Amino acid sequence: MKPRAITGCSVLSALGVGRETFERALRDPEAVATSAITTFDPSPYFAQGVPHVAEVPDFDPTQFLGDKGLRTLDRLTKLMVVSARLALGDAGLKKTGEGGAWGFAEGVDPTRVGVVCSNAYGSLEAITELDRVAKLEDARYINPAKFPNTVSNSASGYVSIWEDLRALNITVSDGNPGGLDGFAVADLMLATRRADAILVGGAEAMCEALFLAFAKLEAGPDHAKLAEAAVFLAVEPTAAAEARGAKVLGHIFGFGTAFEAPTSDVALFHASAAAVSRALRSALADAGIEAAAVGGVVSGIAGLPRFDEAEHDGITDVFGPSIAIERPKARFGETLGASGTLAVATALASPTSATFTAVVSVGYYGNVSAVIVRTA
Amino acid sequence: MTARVYITGVGVVSSIGLGKQAFYEALAAGRSGISAIASFDASKLGRSLGGEVKQFRAKDHLTAAEARRTGRASAMALAAARMAVADAKIADGDLRGPRTAVVIGTTMGEVDVLEILEDGWIRRGTNHVKSALIPKFASTLLPIHIARAFGAEGMQLTLPGACAAGNYAIGIAADLIRTGKADVVIAGATEILQELQYAGFVRLAAMATDRCQPFDKNRQGLIVGEGAGVVVLESEAHAVRRNANVVAEVGAIGITCDAYHITRPHPDATGSISAMRQAISRSGLTPADVDFVNAHGTGTKANDQAEAKVMHEVFGDRRVPISSMKSTIGHCMGAASALEAIGCVMTIETGIYPPTMGYETPDPECDIAVVANEARKGPHDVLLNNSLAFGGYNAVVCFAKPGRIDPSGFQGDA
Repeated sequence: MKPRAITGCSVLSALGVGRETFERALRDPEAVATSAITTFDPSPYFAQGVPHVAEVPDFDPTQFLGDKGLRTLDRLTKLMVVSARLALGDAGLKKTGEGGAWGFAEGVDPTRVGVVCSNAYGSLEAITELDRVAKLEDARYINPAKFPNTVSNSASGYVSIWEDLRALNITVSDGNPGGLDGFAVADLMLATRRADAILVGGAEAMCEALFLAFAKLEAGPDHAKLAEAAVFLAVEPTAAAEARGAKVLGHIFGFGTAFEAPTSDVALFHASAAAVSRALRSALADAGIEAAAVGGVVSGIAGLPRFDEAEHDGITDVFGPSIAIERPKARFGETLGASGTLAVATALASPTSATFTAVVSVGYYGNVSAVIVRTA
Repeated sequence: MTARVYITGVGVVSSIGLGKQAFYEALAAGRSGISAIASFDASKLGRSLGGEVKQFRAKDHLTAAEARRTGRASAMALAAARMAVADAKIADGDLRGPRTAVVIGTTMGEVDVLEILEDGWIRRGTNHVKSALIPKFASTLLPIHIARAFGAEGMQLTLPGACAAGNYAIGIAADLIRTGKADVVIAGATEILQELQYAGFVRLAAMATDRCQPFDKNRQGLIVGEGAGVVVLESEAHAVRRNANVVAEVGAIGITCDAYHITRPHPDATGSISAMRQAISRSGLTPADVDFVNAHGTGTKANDQAEAKVMHEVFGDRRVPISSMKSTIGHCMGAASALEAIGCVMTIETGIYPPTMGYETPDPECDIAVVANEARKGPHDVLLNNSLAFGGYNAVVCFAKPGRIDPSGFQGDA
């Protein structure tokens, strides 16, 4: 991959809204996502303790978007549209002009700005809401205005509509590694000149069905809180970013991926150190650098012993036992389809003394992806 | 950059037949796959018809373990992939390893699994949620089931591109090969017919009552269908090395977003026009080279008008033949453009344009050269597969006879 400049960043997470809030949280070792549940009634679950989830606190989309046109949007869409708007502003691709109008910066062509966004369970809230009507009342009474939200790419489509981004719009649904796979897809689109700039993101919103699914799977007491996030990074060809005088936060330098099937024919869940190692080595090769050039790894370690062990062993197989391993999920929670992008934002905001940081994300089904981020 | 990407095998699960041969024959005959829905009661919605794949049984195509771990969407995709690989005559070992990727599109994925989970929860409470089913719901699994079957260890990509998902999967898969990220990609899309989705289209007033008549003046809307279409894509070097039977070449994907409305196409069709022009020019061709367009053709007022506008803008006075397969198999949502891509492959192989059935009264607002009610033969060197989707997604993929694409049109390596 050719180095891709990251020129803007927006993070909505359980630790707050905005890039500065995110960076402040990273510097504060006491900052940890807490459970303040507003998206569903948690009381039926209190018998088992407070649900182990974390939302974006005090999220009010009207502060950013006004109060028109939000009524039929689901929470995921609102999180994504706000995050996209902040990232576009941070990148200088859009700005507030005279008279307070939000619009494209001079020279930025809306038909050349695209979106690639990962989410793992994006439409779950909407499907559940409509399913509830269909099952308890009648399918004839489902709200047609909310039906489009049941489609997984709907939230990403709304980002383009709200921000008038008319180049490609691609949704990726690869589970946890999806947030990193998005960079590979975006690179493909930039390499083939289908856009000049792409918002690459990941998002996941909280809803009762998502909580219930993870509760039923009994992830265990050490598992990171299930959490929501919406993260967007503005990614551009390096030369294009330099040409427009954009500030550069870092670069995506390489991508690697691997898949290993479980040995058991009936198993679905699987993780292996070999696949983690292969994805990381593939990313290093794509970046054209040696493992020794990497100063640290931002991992997806989340408190699931079998997966954590594979991830740890794969990382140390490539970088040696003394490599620094960040575990952002311990503080931001398990954000699933958003976690890869959140990890890249973490790498950008907490550079090591070395030039490069590796980011790895392990899926539940044997899929692993990795990127190399140049932070200096 | 590896310029040429070939299709060497196709696999189909559709309401008009399982497998390439049955599909081709039924498509050319204009045989309808629309029938009374058996999997749920649609009557309360004032409808009864769908493009349901009644003859598909997972255990006929999958191992017992595969059938246990898949939902219907994955099972259909895996069955289609197995047919495609058999059609490509690739040896087992040829797909093993990191140079084979799998890219699958969908709209709602394993929504039948979710339906069971939610039925237990919503009607009877949390204790009735079947925990063992939860891991099967993830859309991530759509390509992974296929990768497991063939030992593919490269990129596993799920692209929920709504009704353009098949074009997304095949077009992006071709780019993976063209940019050297893979030698072989198993690519396609899958979708199942499900009550909530069906009800949604009825509530949007987009569903016809008795038949889908794309481009007809009296068209009433779409009829929802289901199915899976999967193709094997290979780099030129890979295909030549194993002396593969090349059935078609994949040109470029044109891809844009309307950024206008979540369900309606832009009335000026600017995004669709741009996507089609991209697909042509990036394949090193001009509009004059295009012989036939496999339409999105949903049979809704807005879609068909927008598509007619695209044809006029892109081709001018030249009346390029166009046809919609949705009149026979229904609108298979995420799988639609994958099945239509295979329709394009059929046309390239046989020269037959599949008919648009039910076309009776020309619509002055859709004054285009519809292949009406009967298949016919015509020039078939260069075809376009057009798709529009929720979210304002527009994707067009160019398919051609091998060697007809001009690789200089690709704009890679930026």
